[in-house]
Amino acid sequence: MSNNNAQRTVTVRIQRFNPDTDKKPYMQDYQVEMKPGMTVLDALHEIKTHQDGTVTYRRSCRHAICGSCAMHINGRNTLACNTPLKNEVTHKNTVTIGPLPYLPVIKDMVVDRTTFWEEYLRVKPWLIPPDDIPEKEFRMSQDEVKALHDAETCIMCGACYSSCAVIGLNKKYIGPHALLKSFMRVLDPRDSSPAERLEEVSGADGVYRCHTIFNCIDACPKGLNPTQAIETLRKLAQKRQKLEEARRERQKHLNEPIPA
Amino acid sequence: MRTFQMQRYSAIALLVFLTIHMIVVHYPPFHIDFGIILERMESPVWKVIDIAFLFFVLMHALTGAYMVITDFESAFNYRKGLAWAAIVIGVAAFFYGSATIWAFQPPV
Repeated sequence: MSNNNAQRTVTVRIQRFNPDTDKKPYMQDYQVEMKPGMTVLDALHEIKTHQDGTVTYRRSCRHAICGSCAMHINGRNTLACNTPLKNEVTHKNTVTIGPLPYLPVIKDMVVDRTTFWEEYLRVKPWLIPPDDIPEKEFRMSQDEVKALHDAETCIMCGACYSSCAVIGLNKKYIGPHALLKSFMRVLDPRDSSPAERLEEVSGADGVYRCHTIFNCIDACPKGLNPTQAIETLRKLAQKRQKLEEARRERQKHLNEPIPA
Repeated sequence: MRTFQMQRYSAIALLVFLTIHMIVVHYPPFHIDFGIILERMESPVWKVIDIAFLFFVLMHALTGAYMVITDFESAFNYRKGLAWAAIVIGVAAFFYGSATIWAFQPPV
């Protein structure tokens, strides 16, 4: 067995906070025996099961698809379930875990995501189809599908939202997660109201509030690029009527075969 | 959106004006010389250039400050008042600065 896989004990430092009993958050250390292939979430399970049942965190799928276990690990937002523990161990043999920043803490790593979901619903992330829906199917070109694909893989974990410095200052900002979804719908040829969407996101608390700090890109566990989406929305917002006309024209041919 | 556009357009204009300013004021053969400055500030063409420079500097600075201040949630609710304050400050500073530039006469 190589040294990398050798079992050793690491110190997991967890930020603890219970608003009912604690005045302010504090750090608590736990010793965990690192096993091969162990993730940060596995370490938390180990602590909760064998050492301290009061440690609280969200988790569900363990396959980086539900987005429940987004946390602040060693100073960056990521998913605990797909972060190998050995990659996070510092030279002091510690791993520091805390809740997502800028969000009210309910307990330990569990945060209140109310504003996150409110802003998400605000951009109407669902498809608004045209009045004359094709009898069989919408036909989209490869390029049109490709343009949406990245945004579709967002798992709504909140890592980008809580890494955004603007969110830290102003919870009324729509946020990178919702703007990424809005971008997806604006570019979707099946959607019938891109101009209305662009009007919503180009308000005082929309795309123009982004400072292009790129924190959202760094944080995204799926490698998505919300900043690029926001930049695209900014550009499209300047010519939304043209986009609306082009969309209406495109939708006249949505049920026709795509030329090769 | 308008604030964002104003800041971007003024940034482009400032690139031009700052380039002229740096070349004319700081780099040889136009090194800092009080006599040359007096001669330049006397010229109506340079007065117009300086007033335009002032206009874009004010526009860029005030829109930038407005956007940074309204990033704060506590100030966000007062953005209309802040916008009017920026307009008043901008107009006052522009007229004061323009009058100073235009009225400049070199000492005989």
